[in-house]
Amino acid sequence: MYIYDDIDQKLVEQRVSQFRGQTQRFLKGQLTEEEFRVLRLQNGLYIQRHAPMLRVAIPYGMLTSKQLRTLAYVARRWDKGYGHLTTRQNIQFNWLRLEDAPDVLAKLATVQMHAIQTSGNCIRNTTTDHFSGVAADELINPLVWCEIIRQWSMLHPEFAFLPRKFKISVSGSVTDRAAVGVHDIGLQAVEEKGIFGFRVFVGGGLGRTPIVGKLIKPFVEWRDLLTYLQATLRVYNLHGRRDNKYKARIKILVKDLKPEIFANEVDEQWKLIKGGPDTVTEEFIRSIAGKFKWPEYDLNTEISDAFYLSQLAADAGFNRWSRTNTHPHKVSGYASVSVSLKATGAPPGDISADQMDAIADMAEKYGFGELRISHEQNIIMPDVRKNDLYMLWQELQLLNLATPNIGLITNIISCPGGDYCSLANAVTIPVAEAIQSRFSDLDYIYEIGELDLNLSGCMNSCGHHHVGHIGILGVDKAGEEWYQITIGGRQNGALKNAMNDDLGAATHSAEAAIGRVIGPSFAREQIPDVIHRLIKTYLRLRDSEEERFIDVVYRLGIEPFKKDVYADPLLSKPLTLQKESYV
Amino acid sequence: MFEFTPRLLRNGQVEFNEVLLFDSNDEINSSLGVPPDQKNWMMSLDSWLGKRALLLNRKFPVGILIPSDTDLSATLGNQTKLLQTRDVAFIAIDFPSYTDGRGYSLAQLLKSIYGWDGELRAIGDVMIDTVFYMARCGFDSFLIKEGHDPQLALEALGTFTEHYQKSYRLPSTADT
Repeated sequence: MYIYDDIDQKLVEQRVSQFRGQTQRFLKGQLTEEEFRVLRLQNGLYIQRHAPMLRVAIPYGMLTSKQLRTLAYVARRWDKGYGHLTTRQNIQFNWLRLEDAPDVLAKLATVQMHAIQTSGNCIRNTTTDHFSGVAADELINPLVWCEIIRQWSMLHPEFAFLPRKFKISVSGSVTDRAAVGVHDIGLQAVEEKGIFGFRVFVGGGLGRTPIVGKLIKPFVEWRDLLTYLQATLRVYNLHGRRDNKYKARIKILVKDLKPEIFANEVDEQWKLIKGGPDTVTEEFIRSIAGKFKWPEYDLNTEISDAFYLSQLAADAGFNRWSRTNTHPHKVSGYASVSVSLKATGAPPGDISADQMDAIADMAEKYGFGELRISHEQNIIMPDVRKNDLYMLWQELQLLNLATPNIGLITNIISCPGGDYCSLANAVTIPVAEAIQSRFSDLDYIYEIGELDLNLSGCMNSCGHHHVGHIGILGVDKAGEEWYQITIGGRQNGALKNAMNDDLGAATHSAEAAIGRVIGPSFAREQIPDVIHRLIKTYLRLRDSEEERFIDVVYRLGIEPFKKDVYADPLLSKPLTLQKESYV
Repeated sequence: MFEFTPRLLRNGQVEFNEVLLFDSNDEINSSLGVPPDQKNWMMSLDSWLGKRALLLNRKFPVGILIPSDTDLSATLGNQTKLLQTRDVAFIAIDFPSYTDGRGYSLAQLLKSIYGWDGELRAIGDVMIDTVFYMARCGFDSFLIKEGHDPQLALEALGTFTEHYQKSYRLPSTADT
């Protein structure tokens, strides 16, 4: 866990004072609505359906038990006793009062937290692999680099008013778990001739125009990372479109200019600043790494896994949970645990203040008091001794936090949808619940195997439906809620060395891909049946248990799925929209 | 246009803004398409470039106004020595809306590529809340928009006393 020094602390406190002044001026009528709008957004405050929503930054998804308890306090004192974890590893509170926001931010600052740049057209929270630092397949530890990028991007004077929001993701592992292919900038650690650096993808993103990022630089040495980012952002800031909000993301600029031209422009700018004051030095990396409190693993004694192994054999429920909700760790005798916030009926990603407190306690009892938020909207306990897993599992069960569904169909990624969000076209929470209820038979969901089901309430794609193996998108047709289904999306890995434009096409390689729409939309009541139909088709067509849903879609295309779904008289009529254009 | 309240932040003080934007169609003040050799004239970059030969060696150099959508490399190309303080009183960059952040990058480019080390002024939608970032990007003076207290804007230059980005200065050190 990164621990603030005096400078870090002073900056968040000065930011709270600044925002307190701005809020007071707004409430006194000295700042207009329009003037205040962007200022509050850059402090995480949206105006939502019920009340202002505050999005609190959890830098690269990492937080301490103490911070989680403070979030619980905020939820109880200023909100309705719960929060919502987002796909950008942040947390949102949906029921705040604007007048209280400065006090909430001041409280957060006491535990080294803030809401800076969690919204607005600026550089947002940098995200990474939720197993950073503990994954067995890491080339570099992305946590240090995420912190370097956090500092560089925070209150950046040149890039506070970009054409549109800007998201950076970092992957330090061989397996990309950070979805670097669908970010404005995706950084994939690579090694070249014994020196490490980053492969730079630019212009990926979901939303209205989903595009997989283009590789504009196969290798940027670590020391040049910040100046290269600065050059990239400068080209975007100067040349990104500002006349149309739907064409303002960097992906449109990269597409319009062509990736090669964009890359050349970045190089032109880079020449001017490469080697300048923002060049990363070894000393700087050491100082940042030195401010992290790293877990002190028990390495000396031979830790026996005997109890763990015996419980795996003795308790089928524990065995099942272990298979899905625990993950390999770089240190033998340890595992990482996914605490599932995807129990049937609970809005995906919602967490109550009581659950926060309980998880904070468990993080101290069974770990080093450190936690992660995953972009799948679950909580990760990164360092648990295998011999403690059985006890932890029993405690999690009592809190309804041990649903054994990580990586499976019911681990649904979802935005809050129309129940909360004023942008949404359709509700998502009842849809997620209906699917989870339909797939309540654990044996059956194990048989289906690995499957990402992602759900968004509108084109803004906060539920990342484009990269779900099955994606569901809420659409509005003549004032009614409908749902469009895509299949074949995937969120990783962007390792392919190509500058080709594969907009909209699901490809066969191991890179991120955008799902394809199977046909006309469905009514809400039909969704569980449609999903079930897709699953039945998959089970019929797969050549072995090892072939996942996504693999079958790549092998055979979407046609057999489409055919089966629309051949089903229950699904094709009469609830299906008749006249609709779809991609 | 006369102004009754001072709103130009300059040299740590609030001054009256007396700058006039030159209009070549203005028959009273225009001579050969350039303003008279008097204080406080400002010309757009395009018109300044067009009449540059007539504007050298003035007793009172003009200021230059750069709109936010200016493509400096297209306009100035590789004439990186063109902007000299003996010919140019100041360069003003316009912020048509405070959410248009191009001016911040233009300021950086003027300083780094075109070597401008004279006064750089922010005009347009300049708020109490944006002068700090502007100062860090190299602006020295700020014409604060109507409705925003210039005194508060002056104080806002000290909003943050620390910073992370090493290649951008802090306002407090900039004035020394």
